[in-house]
Amino acid sequence: MPPLLLRPHASLSHAEALQVAQQAPEFLRKNPASYSASPLFSLFSPPENSKTWTIYENLLLACLRTGDYTTAHQCLERLVIRFGGNDERIQALKGLVKEAEATDNSELEKVLKEYEAILANDNTNVPISKRRIALLRAMGRTAEASEALVQFLDFATTDAEAWIELSDLYLSQGLYAQAIYAQEEALVIAPNAWNLHARLGEMLFMAAESGSDGNPQAYLAESLKRFCRSIELCDDYLRGYYGLKRVTDKLLDKDLRQKKPSDSDEVTLPETSTIEQLNLAATKKLGDIVRKYDAKDPLWQGYDSGEVAAARACLSESSQTVVR
Amino acid sequence: MAWLSRPLTLVGLVILAHGCYSAYEHTLLASTSVQHPASPAAAALPLDIYIETIVATFLICLGLVLGTGAPEPIQWHTWAGKIEREADKRSSLAGNADKEALGNPYNALEARSGFINIHKLHGDFVKYTQQLSK
Repeated sequence: MPPLLLRPHASLSHAEALQVAQQAPEFLRKNPASYSASPLFSLFSPPENSKTWTIYENLLLACLRTGDYTTAHQCLERLVIRFGGNDERIQALKGLVKEAEATDNSELEKVLKEYEAILANDNTNVPISKRRIALLRAMGRTAEASEALVQFLDFATTDAEAWIELSDLYLSQGLYAQAIYAQEEALVIAPNAWNLHARLGEMLFMAAESGSDGNPQAYLAESLKRFCRSIELCDDYLRGYYGLKRVTDKLLDKDLRQKKPSDSDEVTLPETSTIEQLNLAATKKLGDIVRKYDAKDPLWQGYDSGEVAAARACLSESSQTVVR
Repeated sequence: MAWLSRPLTLVGLVILAHGCYSAYEHTLLASTSVQHPASPAAAALPLDIYIETIVATFLICLGLVLGTGAPEPIQWHTWAGKIEREADKRSSLAGNADKEALGNPYNALEARSGFINIHKLHGDFVKYTQQLSK
């Protein structure tokens, strides 16, 4: 895993966010307020590298999250000095600071109005469009948010992030078919992203579990494929193997309960022996990962501790059933 | 085999230098010699100098190749597996920020920084700190 400061902020836990926010004053002190283009100055000040501004942005988000608004404003100020206040991304960050400082709904409405004013001038402003959609969603106006997101995707069809947001939005409302469609669109844009494959597998599994619409067998078969693909793209992928184990468990369990072949002919499940082999492979791999992680093997410490704990629980559960 | 790398390169360099010196000395002798005034047979270098130079070059190449570190994975799944498996030990404020690997580049897609809900994050964080202080 990369250092905390460079990881996308939304994927950090609260403790990690706090750690990042505490580094902010030191980072601000160490780096100059502005970088000069003159070669004379560059001799005496630390060099500006490509990660500097990612770090500033992450610090800004972390400070907003922890409620340290003065440091957040300092970060924003430096970003404005560097890129100018009219930059699209900076505009979105400014809006984000205002959103964070708003205390009630009327102030949020005001920020929303500002976004709409900016969009009236230039309706292809991608960061501001995204902020507007996120704000609508945050204010609980989900229908409007998904409508705006669909409109946004009309002109920015290759924005994988937006497709995933749409998928998440649908998923939060229990619309599995739509969510799966949106996630598949994201996969068309980033076909090698192993985590997106695993995510789609998880969605399909959830859809099969809920059993609201469609054929659960078909969902499970598709989910199995997705998890297999994520493992094919990434060796020792804990999330993929965990999903594979859950799906194969479910399929084998189903086979025991209903001996008859799947209800519709379109569903082509692999042979039961293949599923059993997949299950065995997944169990073995999960055991390996958990053991090596617990043994503090230096080359196996990149996993998330929560994910490893989940895998451990899953393994002990399945070994209990085997004993019985 | 890494320990062999430096001695091999060093020995190769010494032999190469020796070969160059021999060639220089030989041409100098051949041009100043009175008995055989610049006949093509005498001006040509003897075979052992050729062999010495080639062997020295080979030794240097071998030494340098042995001394290189383990290559980075070039297969997608091996590379991805490495990223997932290994923790990053470098400190977050390290200066060599341009060199280091950045973890799974697709995590950014799932984190969706463009759609971040800062209000909810802040609210959750406040709850988290309250839980901690209890």
